[in-house]
Amino acid sequence: MKQKTTYWMFAVVVLFILCNCQQLVAQEMTKDQWQSEMSSYTTRRTNLQTQLSKLNDDVSSLQSQLNKLGDDIKACEDAMYAMLGVTRADVEAYEKELADMEKRVAELQRLSDAELMNYRDEISRINDRLNAMAASKIAMIPSYGNRVKSLQDKVAALMKSLSREKSYTVGTWSRDRDCLWNIAKKKDIYDNAWLWPKIWQGNRDKIRDPDIIKPKWVLKIPEGKDLSKEEKSAANSYYRKKAAAAPAYQ
Amino acid sequence: MRKYLTLSFISLSLCCAFLVAGCASKPTDEEMNQLSNLKSEVSSLEKQISEKQRSKSDLEKQIADQNSKLQQCQSDQEAVKKGLGK
Repeated sequence: MKQKTTYWMFAVVVLFILCNCQQLVAQEMTKDQWQSEMSSYTTRRTNLQTQLSKLNDDVSSLQSQLNKLGDDIKACEDAMYAMLGVTRADVEAYEKELADMEKRVAELQRLSDAELMNYRDEISRINDRLNAMAASKIAMIPSYGNRVKSLQDKVAALMKSLSREKSYTVGTWSRDRDCLWNIAKKKDIYDNAWLWPKIWQGNRDKIRDPDIIKPKWVLKIPEGKDLSKEEKSAANSYYRKKAAAAPAYQ
Repeated sequence: MRKYLTLSFISLSLCCAFLVAGCASKPTDEEMNQLSNLKSEVSSLEKQISEKQRSKSDLEKQIADQNSKLQQCQSDQEAVKKGLGK
């Protein structure tokens, strides 16, 4: 029994020593391993140096190619501007104005027809300026001329939507609660009920009495944010008649 | 007893083998520094190469842009010449 215990203890000690020795050997590098790593890294360094040197040459050649292209473009532009009798500064100012207009027209295109009404004057100014720009010598350069033309088309579309007359088809009282007051109050009409006389005056051929409108009538919606003198006068006359017809309180 | 002796002999031999392996010739500190410097040099080269490759591809892109700009300018110039009747 004692002998068996001694064997076991001996075996454990031997295993412990073996493990430690193995760890020591694994951690440290032998001269051969060092030599092999040195040789592998040296080869790698040489390859990388060659690659870097080739890349440096490529980059420097591309850089000079780019500089030459820049010079060629400048020479081409200068020759073209000289033909037209304009300076580079003129063209730059033209380009800036055109870019600003493109940005503004893109903003205006996002507006609804009703919102667009508020920018009628600005759109008209842009249109006039674009016509002047189209007549400029710089517009003979196709890259500018095409941009001006495309912008003119967009502004023409804006002007068309401005001139388009709005209309409204009357619904039923029971379902839509449509009367001139309620129609004028609608967001996409005037968003202001007090402008109802505009609809009345704009549709005198149909509306005799502003209290009576019939379903399926297509009413013209005149543009504008305020009542005209005639519309105000018609409204006052209507209010006076209403007041006179109302029973007096005693 | 004989069994015990055999076991001791085998263990001792194994220990000696490992000791011999552990005591094999090792590189000096200076040599290890040399290897470490070489490794960092390789790593720095790899970094430089990757930067150069990036700038090369940027330049190629710029050249492509400039080429198309030059072509556009040349075609504009032709159109202007035609427009002016030259």
